[in-house]
Amino acid sequence: MNNILECKNLTKAFGNKVALNDVTLSIPRGRIIGLLGPNASGKSTFIKLCNDLLTPTRGEILIDGKRPGVETKKIVSYLPERNYLNEWMRVSDIVGFFRDFYDDFNVEKAYDMLNRLDINPRDKLKTMSKGTKEKVQLILVMSREAQLYMLDEPIGGVDPAARDYILDTILGNYNENATIILSTHIISDIEKILDEVIFIKEGRIVLNKTVDEIREETGKSVDSLFREVFRC
Amino acid sequence: MLAKLMKYEIKATARLFVPLYLTLLFFALFNRILNPFEMLDSAESFNLQVLFSLLSITAYFMLIIGTMVMTLVIMIQRFYKNLLGDEGYLMFTLPVEPWKHIISKFLVAMFWTVLSFATAMCSVLILLKVDNLFGELRRLIEQFTELFGRYALFTMPLYALIYLASGILMIYAAISLGHVFSRHKLLASFGMYFALYSAYQIVMTLYLLIFGRMIFPSIMTGSAPAFSEISKFLLSLCIPGILIMLSNYMITNIVLKKNLNLE
Repeated sequence: MNNILECKNLTKAFGNKVALNDVTLSIPRGRIIGLLGPNASGKSTFIKLCNDLLTPTRGEILIDGKRPGVETKKIVSYLPERNYLNEWMRVSDIVGFFRDFYDDFNVEKAYDMLNRLDINPRDKLKTMSKGTKEKVQLILVMSREAQLYMLDEPIGGVDPAARDYILDTILGNYNENATIILSTHIISDIEKILDEVIFIKEGRIVLNKTVDEIREETGKSVDSLFREVFRC
Repeated sequence: MLAKLMKYEIKATARLFVPLYLTLLFFALFNRILNPFEMLDSAESFNLQVLFSLLSITAYFMLIIGTMVMTLVIMIQRFYKNLLGDEGYLMFTLPVEPWKHIISKFLVAMFWTVLSFATAMCSVLILLKVDNLFGELRRLIEQFTELFGRYALFTMPLYALIYLASGILMIYAAISLGHVFSRHKLLASFGMYFALYSAYQIVMTLYLLIFGRMIFPSIMTGSAPAFSEISKFLLSLCIPGILIMLSNYMITNIVLKKNLNLE
């Protein structure tokens, strides 16, 4: 079983609106993959389907050969595009929560990262700025030693300086066999870390290539190719 | 995992319930010392003392009602916000089966509902200044057994607990069913609650029509029921209660397991 994630004819409709249309994909282990597309192209829908937060209308997803469920949740670390933490909790409470429920959670790593970003573990979430909350969530998600990380817009809300640190954090905290899928529409900042890109447009995959292939075949950077494909 | 979920559920709710209970008990004690009822009795005309007594009594009763309302509101909010709102993104990506989320929320809601009731009773006892409390309680139990029979001491609480459980699970089922709708989820949840309520009323009516004669013969003859009959009647009503409870649980579980859509 070489691929960490496979999906066949995956379709998700909300009422009449088709958010994801007949997507078939194989994602190998040990890669960093950018899921790129404009707003409302189906990026979050795809990631939520993989995390069992949405039920597919048609098709199938297999993560490590299994359908999304308890077993896949043990090996997938998911960063949603929204704040999902209890506002009244302290950072240290939430670290305890993650330790209690995830066997692969590394507490020392979490405290180390909090320390480096000057976040006080005794602080309550509700006293924090939006950007700080996002950092806390990313630290929690990256402190797991997971096989698949699915990061939905991990750099959307933070300033460029913190963005660099976050990308370093992502790169510095996963092992070689793990795969990272990250969705974004801010491409220039992350282009340098990606192995592969998937372009998604109106719920369909329009391109699925390695970054090297793109450079060789088109002579363009991912960013300029993206602007070309998604020109309004 | 169920124990861990319950631990966090208790943590999340205790910070709301404990201050509420303490306020209620404090107000009961305050009213006991102030004794506004006696002040009202002894007052000859409307004065500041009377006004203050009235306010104090009103505040106490508002607090009792408030405790009951808050118990219900927190129960609904914990299910709706923590599982189907933004926090659900965390809860449903934990490596935990959906039924454990339902059961942990349910058991903790049962616990707080019983405790809210017990705290309200305690506050009444504080307020009433009962001399020889245990003697009075024993007398109360004696009177109860005289009216309903000894077995009713067990069958009546059992009956109450089963219907409380099916009531809580019915709220969960209604919220879950409402969530299946793509729009107006909250409105749909209310609609679903009334749909479920009507359906269960029909079930209960049919049950009584079919089995009523068998389990409660004195209804037919118009004579006073025997003690054993009362308990038998309560126990027999537990059967549809348990069925309704199971049906509510299954509806909730199917939606959360097979039809979850956090948008």
